[in-house]
Amino acid sequence: MNNAIDSISKNQILADGFWHNNTIFAQLLGMCPLLGVTTSAENGFWMGAATILVLIGSNLVVSLVRGAIPAQVRIPAYITIIAAFVTMVDLAMNAWMHEMYLILGLFIPLIVVNCAILGRAEAFASKNSVSDSLVDAIAVGAGFTFALMLLGGVRELLGQGELFGYAVFGADYPDFLLFILPPGAFIALGFILAGVNIINRRMKENADKKATEAFTEITRDTKTTAQPST
Amino acid sequence: MSNFNIDREQVQMVVALVTVAVVAVFFLGLTDIVTREPIATAQKSALHKALVQVLPEHRNDPLADVIHLKPSGNGSADKTSKTKKPFYPAKDKQGNIIGLAWETIAPDGYKGTIRILMGVLPDGSVHAIRITDHRETPGLGDHIVLNTGWINSFIGKTLQNTHWAVKKDHGDFDQFTGATITPRAVVKAVKKGLELFKANKKELLTPSSNTSPITTPKAQTDRGEKS
Repeated sequence: MNNAIDSISKNQILADGFWHNNTIFAQLLGMCPLLGVTTSAENGFWMGAATILVLIGSNLVVSLVRGAIPAQVRIPAYITIIAAFVTMVDLAMNAWMHEMYLILGLFIPLIVVNCAILGRAEAFASKNSVSDSLVDAIAVGAGFTFALMLLGGVRELLGQGELFGYAVFGADYPDFLLFILPPGAFIALGFILAGVNIINRRMKENADKKATEAFTEITRDTKTTAQPST
Repeated sequence: MSNFNIDREQVQMVVALVTVAVVAVFFLGLTDIVTREPIATAQKSALHKALVQVLPEHRNDPLADVIHLKPSGNGSADKTSKTKKPFYPAKDKQGNIIGLAWETIAPDGYKGTIRILMGVLPDGSVHAIRITDHRETPGLGDHIVLNTGWINSFIGKTLQNTHWAVKKDHGDFDQFTGATITPRAVVKAVKKGLELFKANKKELLTPSSNTSPITTPKAQTDRGEKS
């Protein structure tokens, strides 16, 4: 179990899961719930919360049993584990969050087929320690929730002039229907992805700049320190 | 030897899958036991909340006094009419039925079925209606829920005093910009509900078994007025 991935720090796992490898922004997985339920920020948040619960459960269990499941049957085993957690979350939401359950409806059972979750089980939890898998689940889940809320917020704001149900642009904001309908989800997602790419490029440029500055400084230092000695 | 190895691998696979499945089933059963009661309560309280909104002020528990009736007559085009349908009565202090609520279903919404809870007074006029479940387009069809003015335009409507169609079809009900199918379906379903009430009025207002004697004359006068 001491392969290279194990040595990755928890911070690195968090940063990867939340941002660099974000399910939505970087991998473009889980589009079905993304486009289906993000008509408002609140819906996005609760969909994300349900997904985090499933992700934590499945990552933990898959990581716990990672040595015991023969490789040939790992996928059906993982799917069974994931489906069990999804059903538990589904029942729990039906019982204690009935109104939100009615809104999210079919999209909760559909978490089973969210390839992002099976992806984490297969690519991470099955190869890493329980604590690392827990951190990974929280990071990936938080990144997914963040993306759902961002898209839900943008669509709610542009479509209905509200945010979390509160009127932002006043009561007589003319509804911009396009953003509530599915095409609006694609358009808003496109602009968000463009923004994410700009941020990533800036980050990379800054990192490169720092690296070259540090490099030139080091070389200058060695030169200046080298000169007097000659 | 190699044969033995393959067998052992297969056994391992089966054992692993069966174990996962059994453990999963155990936890699912546990969750079901824990959540069954709260789910029933949540559904009941959701129904109760809607019932309070569509029925006139009452002194009884409409859920407890539910009347199960197999509807008959020309209003029974409803898909659920093959089985007994629950009707929730509102009663005053004396036990007279002062209103009835039941679910009417519009199968022809823009995106599937719209479920409507309608409350009707004994004279056959609508007291109030509420949409309890729908999948209509947010921002277009869901005005049937959000636009209280439109929902309230059903109040006081009877089969006689109203042309049951949207204005586009020369009726009395508004449609919404960009959404005609949804209000059309709701109007049709409520009309169907009223026809169902008309056809089954006698049975509904004079429940055979659990009726106090006071109810009967009241219901009879109602019937008298009607015919």
